[in-house]
Amino acid sequence: MFASRHRLSDTVRLTEQAGAPWRPRRRRARLGLRARVTVTFGLGALALSATMAGLTYFTARQFVLNERQSAILRQAYVNASLARTTLRSASPDITQLLDSLDTVPGSRSVLELKGQWYATSISVGEHAIPLSLRQLVLTGTPATQHFALANTPQLAVGVPIPSVDAAYFEVFSLDELSRTLRILALALAGAALVTTVAGAVIGRWASGRVLRPLAQVSKTAETIAAGSRDVRLVADDDRELSALASSFNRMTDALQERIAHEERFTSDVSHELRSPLTTLATSLEVLESHRDEMTERTGHALDLLAAELRRFQHMVDDLMEISRVDTGSAELLLDEVDVGELARQAATAGGAAGVPVEVDPKVAGARLQVDKRRIERVVANLVANAAQHAGGVTRIGVEPSDGGVRLVVADRGPGVAPAERERVFERFYRGQAAGQRGATNGTGLGLSLVAEHVRLHGGRVWVEGDDSGGTVDGGRGAENRFVVELPVLAAATASPDDSDDPDSAAGCARGAMPPAVPATVRDEVTDGNEDGHDGAPADGDDPSGHQSARRPAKR
Amino acid sequence: MSSRILLVEDDERIRASMRLALEDEGYEVDESGSGETALERFGETAADVVLIDLMLPGMDGFETCRQLRRSSAVPVIMVTARTDTHDVVAGLEAGADDYVTKPFVAKELSARIRALLRRTRSVDDPDMLTFGDVEVRPDEGTVRRAGHEVHCTRTEFRLLCELAANPGKVLSREQLLDRVWGYDYFGDGRLVDVHIRRLRIKVEPDAANPRHILTVRGMGYKLAV
Repeated sequence: MFASRHRLSDTVRLTEQAGAPWRPRRRRARLGLRARVTVTFGLGALALSATMAGLTYFTARQFVLNERQSAILRQAYVNASLARTTLRSASPDITQLLDSLDTVPGSRSVLELKGQWYATSISVGEHAIPLSLRQLVLTGTPATQHFALANTPQLAVGVPIPSVDAAYFEVFSLDELSRTLRILALALAGAALVTTVAGAVIGRWASGRVLRPLAQVSKTAETIAAGSRDVRLVADDDRELSALASSFNRMTDALQERIAHEERFTSDVSHELRSPLTTLATSLEVLESHRDEMTERTGHALDLLAAELRRFQHMVDDLMEISRVDTGSAELLLDEVDVGELARQAATAGGAAGVPVEVDPKVAGARLQVDKRRIERVVANLVANAAQHAGGVTRIGVEPSDGGVRLVVADRGPGVAPAERERVFERFYRGQAAGQRGATNGTGLGLSLVAEHVRLHGGRVWVEGDDSGGTVDGGRGAENRFVVELPVLAAATASPDDSDDPDSAAGCARGAMPPAVPATVRDEVTDGNEDGHDGAPADGDDPSGHQSARRPAKR
Repeated sequence: MSSRILLVEDDERIRASMRLALEDEGYEVDESGSGETALERFGETAADVVLIDLMLPGMDGFETCRQLRRSSAVPVIMVTARTDTHDVVAGLEAGADDYVTKPFVAKELSARIRALLRRTRSVDDPDMLTFGDVEVRPDEGTVRRAGHEVHCTRTEFRLLCELAANPGKVLSREQLLDRVWGYDYFGDGRLVDVHIRRLRIKVEPDAANPRHILTVRGMGYKLAV
C-alpha cells in the first residue's frame, strides 16, 4: 500500500512539473485504490463471516439448550414420579428417597413435603430456588426457570405432587453447557477473524495483480517524463491489459510526434532564417564599408538597419540555442579551466573588459569543468542584461559556496522585485521595467538561456537584491546580484595526468565529470561515436577531458 | 597579387553578397553552385582558399572536401549552419582547416582566410625537425615517414611543426589555436583535437596508441621524440 501511495505522489510531482492542473491535496486525503480494495475485501469478509458465525452460534446454542432442557425435564418427571410412589408408602424414608433418585452430575434434588424442605446438597436448598418458581409450583403448576446461582447458570424444574401434598424440585447446573457454548463462540469469532484477515490479504493480492500494469504504466510514464521518450509499454497477453498498453502507447506516440513537430518547427524556422540573414548581414557589411559615400540621412537609415539586423541575428541565434536544449541535442563541450581565468576571459568576451573581477582567495586556482562557450554566453547575457536594465555591471565576483563556486554579476540598478525573481528567467518575459526601455538589443531570451546553460552544467542561477525591490536611494542603492553556482571539481581529479596512455587518461576524465552530468550522458556520447558520424574525440584523445556530452532536455 | 577564393555555395544571393564582401576585402572570387562544378573549377583556377557550404545539393560539402583533399592541400574553410552538431567535427574530419557559422560576419571570415594564408614558415625555423622515423622539413614543406613522403594539409603541417619545434614541451589547446589558427581564448578546441587525430593517422605507426603525439590530460598535447 505504501508503495502504491509513494508512486502516486511521484506521479503528482511529475504532473506538477509538466504544468498540468492537478489537485494533490484531495488525492492525498483519500486512501489509495489498493488500500480501498483491501479494506473493502476485509470488511466484506468480516461481515460475511460474522453473520455466518452468529447464525451458527445461535442455531447450535438453541439446539443444544433444547436437547438439554428436554433431557432435564424427562429426568425431573421420572424423579418426581419416583418420589410420588415412595411418598405414598406408609412411612417413607425421605433421605433414602433422595439418595435413590437417578441424577446426572450437576443436578441436585430438593423436595418439599408438607411445608418441610429436604435437599441432596447443602448449598442448594429451599432458598436456592427462585421464589417465583417455588410459589408457582406450590400452587400446583409445574414450571421451569433459568437463574444464576453463585454466577453459574442454573435451570430449576419444579413438579408439584399434589397427591401427597409435596413438590419435587430439581436444580441443574448449566455451567458445563455454557462453557461449551463459550468455547464455540470463541472458535467462531476466531474463524471470523481469520476469514477477515484472509479477505483483506486476498483483496490486497488481487488488487496488486490488477494494479501491476498500472504500476508499469506509471513507471513508464516517469521514464518518459525524465526524457526517454522512446520507451513504450509492452503489450500483455491479457485482452484488457493489452488494450491499456496500446492506448497508452498510442497516446505517447501522439505526444512525442507533437513535441518533435514543435521542436522541429522552431529549429526549422531558425534554420530557414539563416540563409536570408547571411545575405542580409553580408550585404549590410558591404554597405557599411561604403558608408562614407552616403548622405547623413541614408547613413542613419543604414545604422538603424544594422542595429535591428544584429538584434534579429541574436534572436535567431538564441532561438536555435533554445531549440537545441529543447530537443535534447545540446552538447556540452567540457574543458577543465581555472575559475578566475574563466571569469576574466568571460568578462572580456562578454563586453565587460573594464569591470573589476574579484576572485575570493579561497577559490583562487579552483578548477571547473565547463563548456567555455556557454559560460561566456552566460556572463555576456548577464552583462548585457545589467547594461540594459541597471545602468551596467559594477563588478564580477568569484566566491566559494557549499555547492561549488559562485560567479556573481553585480549592478547597482533598480533591481528585480522579489515577485519577479523567478520569472525573469522565463522566455520572452517582460518585467515591470519593460515599458521604460528605449532602444534595446534584447531578444527576450537572454536570461532564459542563462538558466538553460547553467542547468546543463548542473548548476543554479538566481537573483539576489534588496527585498524592497532595490529602489532605495533613488534607484542607486543596494547591490543587485545575479548569482551563478557551478559545481567544482574534486581536488584529486584536478591535477593533470601525465600518463602517456590515453586510456588511463580516459579513466580519469570519467571521474572528473561534474556531478550533474549523469552517467547516461556518457553512454550517449559513446553511441554518438559509434555511428561514425560524430567525430567527437574519445576521452583519451583529448587533453582536458574535453567531452562532447549530449544531455536530454528536462522540460 | 591578391588571393583567389573559390566560393562553393548553392544559394545565389548568399553567393552574390559574399562575393561583394570578399571583393571589398581585396580578394578575387570564383563562384560555384555545386560540389561537382567546384571540383572542375578548382582544377582550372587554382584557388588559394576554398570556402565550402556543407549543405549542397547533389554532392554535399563533406564529400566535396574529401574529393578536393585527394589532390590538394589547399586551405579549406567550411560554412556550416550550426556550431554544436556533428557537422563541425565531421567537416573537420573530411579535411577542412577551419569553419565559420552562418550567419557570419564577413570581416571575421576574411580574418580567418588571412590567418590561413599567413601561415608560412617563420625565418628562425630550423631546416629539419625529426622524431621517431618522421622527418619534417619546414623549408620544403614536406613530411617524410620512414623515407616516404606523407601528404599533409597546410594546417596539419603547421601543427606538426609547432609540436616538433617544441619536443617534450606541453602545448595547450589555446596555445595551438593561437599559433596555428590565430584564435583567441575562446576558439573551438575541436579544431585542435580533430587535426591531432588526423596527424596521428598520418605519422604514428599506430594511431590508436600514439607514441609521439601524446595527450596530456588537463594540459594539452606534447611531442615525444
